[in-house]
Amino acid sequence: MSHAEHNEIKIMAKAIVCEDCSLIGDITISPGCVIHPSATIIAEAGPIVLGENCIVEEYSTIAFRLPTDNKIDPAVEVRTLNIGANNVFEVGSRVEACHIGEKNVFESKCYVGPCVFVSSGCIIGAGVRLVSEQKLPENTVIYGRNCLQREAIDKHGSQTLQIDFLRKVLPNYHHLRKPNYDPKKMRIAT
Amino acid sequence: MANFMQNSVVSYACTCGLVNPITKLFFCRHCLKLRCGFCVCHEVDSHFCSNCLENIPSSEAKHKKNCCTNCFNCPCCQHTLSARATMVVVPKKTDDSPKEGEGDGVKAVTKKMYYLSCLGCRWTSRDVGIPDQNVATGAWPENECSYQTRFNALLEYYQAVVLQDKQEKQEYLRRKTPKAHKFPSLTDRTGLTVSMIRRQIGWPDKNTQKAKPVNITPSVATDELEDLPADVFTQPINLRNVSNIQQRHGQPSDQPFTVNKLYPQRRILWIKRSLRCRQCEHNVIKPEYHPTSVKYRIQLFANYHVPDVLLVRSEEVLHAGKSGSIILKLTNPTMHDMSIKIKELPTLSEELEMIEEFKLACKIKENTATSAAAESLKSITSSPSLTSTTLSRQTSLIEDPRIVQQKANVKLNNSELNFVLNQRDDSTEFDEDVQTPREEPEFIIWRKSNKVSIRLPFTTDESLKVGDLVKVGFTMEYTYVNTVTNTPTSHTLSARVFIDAGQILGE
Ligand SMILES: [Zn+2]
Ligand SMILES: [Zn+2]
Ligand SMILES: [Zn+2]
Ligand SMILES: [Zn+2]
Repeated sequence: MSHAEHNEIKIMAKAIVCEDCSLIGDITISPGCVIHPSATIIAEAGPIVLGENCIVEEYSTIAFRLPTDNKIDPAVEVRTLNIGANNVFEVGSRVEACHIGEKNVFESKCYVGPCVFVSSGCIIGAGVRLVSEQKLPENTVIYGRNCLQREAIDKHGSQTLQIDFLRKVLPNYHHLRKPNYDPKKMRIAT
Repeated sequence: MANFMQNSVVSYACTCGLVNPITKLFFCRHCLKLRCGFCVCHEVDSHFCSNCLENIPSSEAKHKKNCCTNCFNCPCCQHTLSARATMVVVPKKTDDSPKEGEGDGVKAVTKKMYYLSCLGCRWTSRDVGIPDQNVATGAWPENECSYQTRFNALLEYYQAVVLQDKQEKQEYLRRKTPKAHKFPSLTDRTGLTVSMIRRQIGWPDKNTQKAKPVNITPSVATDELEDLPADVFTQPINLRNVSNIQQRHGQPSDQPFTVNKLYPQRRILWIKRSLRCRQCEHNVIKPEYHPTSVKYRIQLFANYHVPDVLLVRSEEVLHAGKSGSIILKLTNPTMHDMSIKIKELPTLSEELEMIEEFKLACKIKENTATSAAAESLKSITSSPSLTSTTLSRQTSLIEDPRIVQQKANVKLNNSELNFVLNQRDDSTEFDEDVQTPREEPEFIIWRKSNKVSIRLPFTTDESLKVGDLVKVGFTMEYTYVNTVTNTPTSHTLSARVFIDAGQILGE
């Protein structure tokens, strides 16, 4: 539980982090990320590093949970959850995946359990629940009530327009957390 | 209305004996009877696309195979596809580029291109290699399967066969029936067409060129089959590339085995239908014509005319052979006061009697509706084919009344409960004055404007076992004021109501 007890939030420049979101644990937010109000990020089992240009929407939760038996093996090194760039966590999604690559979309109200390995370019459809242990190959699309799978052949559109828009609009209506971390300066300091 | 989406615990027996929740019943104001889906004939009023809401005339709809020309469904998940625009950089035409832009090489312009995309499963028309289009609608390529010509030939052939069959049958009937009248009588004159005169005189129809089906080459069965590929037993199958049953049925012409042959499917049209009472042929439901409108011109839903019964709760734990009671809430949906009488269901012999009576009424109706009446009907409606197929034939298709299968397994403690249900008055909700308490029978628990709560005591059957469902059944007699006629007339109607009161519990 050592990591969840103290909050160490590192926000890099050009990241938009709204004040009323809850960030718990050791979390690094890379440049270009947009964290909406009421979003939750919990780094319980180890630090979370959120890649560049990720969008975390309202009421969505990203959690790096301890194993269910709540024991940390001291022999095992503490793992960092590195979330890739350009991921979108839509409203009400709940993601506890053990690995998240790049360019994934977690649609509204979906749930991704802790035993799921999400590679890159995947789309988890609205309301889809992934619980059992599995590895999603690249460009997997999971959709519908029965969680049907298909492989996306055409790449889905990028989120740059949306990110630019949010970056313009959000500061007008919300208090933001200030960037407090500059990797270049840190390097000089050490 | 509380049970519109879920299974209802209160159901009503239709005149035909089938049991339905009130939301699925209609009330014919001319027969003053309940009608269910089997007791009305369903007629297609109009075809429309549920996505673009375009109204499509029925002849055109048939020509288009009941599909919308502009809208597509996703072949992967059957969701509606939406057109998406992208900016594409295309090199300028080679004709004018050498004149102007020799210095800076090939000029490029951006152009808006469209592709189809599914928001459900992210399928796009690019997945199957359909090129992007310049316009959003109308230009999408038709995917024709390989044996389309063969299919068309077969279609043509069988249409000719049907036509020939029909002509032969007509010819046979004409020769067989004795010529009744050589000349049309004056009373027959309404709705007489040239072809009918010709038929009556005995001449062949003018427009009958003997249809001869063109010959087609019949299909031949073969036992030469391609062998399965050698790796079919050794290679692991990738299920993501194999289409599922739903996808194959969505594309019935070629039923692709792999997902890379899924093409956008034209969206199937929806219909607006009107319902007509089978006994009196009056409309029970008639929707407004325009697809965007969800209103009705005629809407005789049962819950606008029949008191609505709602189960509030069951008072006691139910045991076999013991007494119990349920609390019901009755609502009067009409603008007239109703006096209500709740009594036991009819016995079997009474029910059989009712059925006989009903059958007799139908017979009288049928006899009075002679062929002359049908003829006059034909002349009223513009298209003779419609009347001949829908009206005259379906009158004889009245759903045969049957004994209600649902059986009550309780006995009501009171032989009769009488009370008045006030008229509906939407303004009473805003009235401030307190209702003057009046002498009420003791079974009435609560009363407000057009609603009444009553306690209905009963004794369950001895034979019930633990876990059995207790069915409370009663006949509800109610007065109904018919406003169809010029002078409103009051009738006493009855409905048979069945209620699930809950399970028998153990000791
Ligand atoms: Zn019926
Ligand atoms: Zn359409
Ligand atoms: Zn789809
Ligand atoms: Zn009728």
